[in-house]
Amino acid sequence: MKDGWLQRLRDEVTQAWTVTAKDMKVYYLKPGMIMFGFLMPFFMFFSFSVRRGMAADQGVARLLALTVFFTAAAAGPFIIPLERRLGTYDRLLAAPMSLLTLLLSKTAVGAFFAIGTSAFALIVGVVAFGVSVAQPWLLAVAVLLAAFSFSALGVIFGSIPTRNPGSVQMPSTLLRWGLLFISGVFIGLNEMAPAARAVAYLSPLTYAQDLMNHAVLGAGLLNPWLDMAVLLLSGVLFLVPSVLMHRRSRRLGY
Amino acid sequence: MNDAIKVGSLTKYYGRPEAGVLAVDHINFQVQEGEVFGFLGPNGAGKTTTQRMLTTLLEPTEGRITIHGHDLAHDAYPVKRQMGLVPEESNVYTELTAWDNLMFTAKLYRVGRAERAARARELLEAFGLWEKRDVKAENFSKGMRRRLSIAMAIIHKPALLFLDEPTPGLDAQSARAIRDLIRQLNDEGTTIFLTTHQIEEANQLCDRVAIIDHGQIAAIDTPEHLKQAFRRVQSVEVALEPDGQAHGQALGSLPGATTAVKMGDKWRLYTKDPSVLLPQVMDYANSSELRVVSLSTLGPSLEDVFLEITGQQVGTVRHEAQESKPRRRGMKSGMGGGR
Repeated sequence: MKDGWLQRLRDEVTQAWTVTAKDMKVYYLKPGMIMFGFLMPFFMFFSFSVRRGMAADQGVARLLALTVFFTAAAAGPFIIPLERRLGTYDRLLAAPMSLLTLLLSKTAVGAFFAIGTSAFALIVGVVAFGVSVAQPWLLAVAVLLAAFSFSALGVIFGSIPTRNPGSVQMPSTLLRWGLLFISGVFIGLNEMAPAARAVAYLSPLTYAQDLMNHAVLGAGLLNPWLDMAVLLLSGVLFLVPSVLMHRRSRRLGY
Repeated sequence: MNDAIKVGSLTKYYGRPEAGVLAVDHINFQVQEGEVFGFLGPNGAGKTTTQRMLTTLLEPTEGRITIHGHDLAHDAYPVKRQMGLVPEESNVYTELTAWDNLMFTAKLYRVGRAERAARARELLEAFGLWEKRDVKAENFSKGMRRRLSIAMAIIHKPALLFLDEPTPGLDAQSARAIRDLIRQLNDEGTTIFLTTHQIEEANQLCDRVAIIDHGQIAAIDTPEHLKQAFRRVQSVEVALEPDGQAHGQALGSLPGATTAVKMGDKWRLYTKDPSVLLPQVMDYANSSELRVVSLSTLGPSLEDVFLEITGQQVGTVRHEAQESKPRRRGMKSGMGGGR
């Protein structure tokens, strides 16, 4: 019985990786992923951060948070509705693996994309601007947890019962922009009014930015353990609505 | 023989039962292991909805599905492992090569490393795609994608294969190759659930067929038993010279004829008793100074049975001699019906 359970677990892990590797091969170079996942955070960073007299290390901490957030959350809303439209999602839903395995594999697709893009941003920061990272291991954990959390957030939008990526991109982009402006990325938490800060605490991006500040600058406003716990917990909680919406899709026939 | 599929009171509403659309209405049927089972019906009859419920892609509103003894609602995992699905649209990954598509599916179904390469090669060779194994599927023709889609569905040697409209839109050669493949898979022991509106294909391939109409099973039996049950749908086929549309009204009004349908350069006259109609046709030809090029009597085809049950018309000019026939609902043929 135990062997059967372990074998099933091994199977599910292998299947999750199989789907993730396939998606990386098929979708990473699609224009939609490059536009919404790769270019968008850099555009936003340069739009809102240049000419503000910001130190290079501060800029890198901000760019990393932005990159992980936008890139990770871009995959789910792009890939899942597209696969539904092409009929390839049925192939995955009919395969012998659990729904959670499928959702985790889709979450991993966005997370790996974000990790790769943020590594690129970090290399640019270090090489071009001579930025040094105060706590490299903490930065690795921060990127990993933030990528998981925000990719799971993107999968929620991908789980909306529709076959049209366009009708998912709109609400997803709206939410991401909304979160961006309340989360202490462009205005630090310590500069915010108490009411704005209370709202900022509702966003996981706030904790990601604070953790990046700890890792890159060596100082943040909140306890880094709290930041890590919130990112991990939010990632897990974001999977719940995705599961529920997939069940609804199965009732509706999407 | 054991049941591969057992369906009890299966129902699907899109939307709430009190206000939604009833797509499948409390249907019951069984498919035996090793059988080729055809699921026929007009567009919108509930074929694909039923198949999607059987393949776990759609949740039934009511009813129970058991596949190889496993209740699909509570124990889908072992069923999914031994099931293959070929949907109506060839859902291959066009960005991947034929080889990568097969490798991906094999890994998904946990086919062993050594076995999956051998199996992929075997299937690509059998389907005439070996030379194209490193070509991305986006460069494939419709027929090639169809073959690849079927190869992906059977790479793990499923005990039960669902095929949704496998041949429409394909050239005759590709369609024939796929029909041959279905026979071969069945010979090797695979149970086939074939959803189609290609009546002749079902006639050629299926051990039994179910005809679904308006979400209900209207008939279920072997093709030959269904034809026997519809002996009243016999016909006389006549080719006259000179030919013309004007014959339709006259032929359809002959004593014993129920309907006259133009089929190419021939007229098919439906009748309950060809012996009554034959002399009438000859009399009409003689009195109108027409030459009878050919004259034959035909038993009911599976298409006739299908059209009779679903109340549809053949896609050609039809001259009704009677009021339109009443629709039969919930009819089952005498032998094995409702099994």
